[in-house]
Amino acid sequence: MQNAIIGGILASVACGVVGSYVVVKRIGYLAGGIAHSVLGGMGIAYYLGRPPIEGALVAALVFAVILGWVSLRMQQQEDTVIGALWAGGMAVGILFISQTPGYNVDLMSFLFGNILMISSDDLFWIAGLDVLILLIVFLFYKQFLAVSFDEEFARLRGIPVERFYLLFLVLVALTVVILIQIVGLILVIALLTLPAAVSGLYVRSLNLMMLLATLLGVAFTTGGLAISYQPDLPPGPTIILVAGAFYLLSLFITRFWKKA
Amino acid sequence: MSMDSVIKIKDLHFSYGGPKILENIELDIHRNEFIGMVGPNGSGKTTLLKIIMGVLTPDKGSVKVLGTPPSHSVKEIGYMPQLTPFSRDFPISVEEVVLMGRLGKTSSIGFFNKADKRAAEKAMNDVEVLDLRKRAIGSLSGGQLQRVLIARALTCEPQIMILDEPTANVDMKVEKDIFDLLKQLNENVTIIVVTHDIGFISQYIDRVACINRTLICHPTSELTGETIENMYGTHMHMVHHHHEHEEGNKL
Repeated sequence: MQNAIIGGILASVACGVVGSYVVVKRIGYLAGGIAHSVLGGMGIAYYLGRPPIEGALVAALVFAVILGWVSLRMQQQEDTVIGALWAGGMAVGILFISQTPGYNVDLMSFLFGNILMISSDDLFWIAGLDVLILLIVFLFYKQFLAVSFDEEFARLRGIPVERFYLLFLVLVALTVVILIQIVGLILVIALLTLPAAVSGLYVRSLNLMMLLATLLGVAFTTGGLAISYQPDLPPGPTIILVAGAFYLLSLFITRFWKKA
Repeated sequence: MSMDSVIKIKDLHFSYGGPKILENIELDIHRNEFIGMVGPNGSGKTTLLKIIMGVLTPDKGSVKVLGTPPSHSVKEIGYMPQLTPFSRDFPISVEEVVLMGRLGKTSSIGFFNKADKRAAEKAMNDVEVLDLRKRAIGSLSGGQLQRVLIARALTCEPQIMILDEPTANVDMKVEKDIFDLLKQLNENVTIIVVTHDIGFISQYIDRVACINRTLICHPTSELTGETIENMYGTHMHMVHHHHEHEEGNKL
């Protein structure tokens, strides 16, 4: 339980920071593609007897670069190609898992996560990825802001826009890998976008949006854990439902506010 | 006014692979000139600006901006786009938008530094939006937003400013304010403004560059009622007008 709470807090850092960029840049679908295709890597790692997180990391990075290239070069068919890679990645994963001898893995825990089973090793992974993400965001804060706000202007100021777009997708990939440990890959997109989306309804600056999204992430994960604990519900879906309910409520409140 | 050339274009031709968009362009813009650029939609105005800023490469001909190829000088150009491609609900303040203009001039890692903040403050002060600095970009009026975008173009302390229809969505009062402001800035900066309203701005500019695949420059002193009427005219008029001046006033 202690590991689960720490895991939730650590994951919220990445999802608050990177999720805010995903929301303002409106690339939820692309992030979803990265998240789901990661199952391919997890399946292969599992087949080879390696920890699934290693496979997830490799697959997330590879798919981030491929999908980024697709969205830059093939804008006409972008959504079709993302859809194909999304489903293809998952199919590869399921094939490898089915061919793995011995215990049949609990596919459900890949798909829907199991925050209660998080090990200390996992926590080190998550903390390490957090540090890496924050470091990159601090170093290139200006460029990320410029590229997500106004790409054309950023390009004219000499920013290598495409390189930063790919680097940004790498950050999304790292975050996805972290979040898969918490809620599994089906629900990643909700945890990546909902705290930031709620936060974006209330604040008018990207820094504050990231900070508030992180705090909301902590609230959603610990809140979801607490609610699921007593009736022994699966924590991943509970966390997502808490976040989703909060988002809808916030949407309603802010709309009502504007009208009043 | 010193007469050294800041933009020099010779025998420039450009196409996007199909028909010629720009043909045989010759242009020589001097330091601290104020140039108005007119032409019908699709006449190649934006294409020419993109070539000057190094985004597009001409098929043929030479372009020198501040004595170097455009890709080297683009950081010395303050640019204000015609359309704002960003979403108005992006969570960003006026000050942060204006600071974007420092990119390319400031260090490439970390946050904006004190010098950047000072430059942004000066630019916001120059265009009189300093009191809006903390406001969200989405809460501004059309005229305020145009000023903020001019400030963003100014923060890089440019030698050349290029503004693509800076007064497209504002009323006449704001339009006059913006051109008064540009005239002030023009004491230190060479300015190119794309506009449709050449009659109004003729009191501000030194020369008009008329583009319709080819380019002809007129000094403002030559602008008679008739030439203005021609420029305001339809596409047909513009072509006609070009033929009329083909020999005489090409620069």
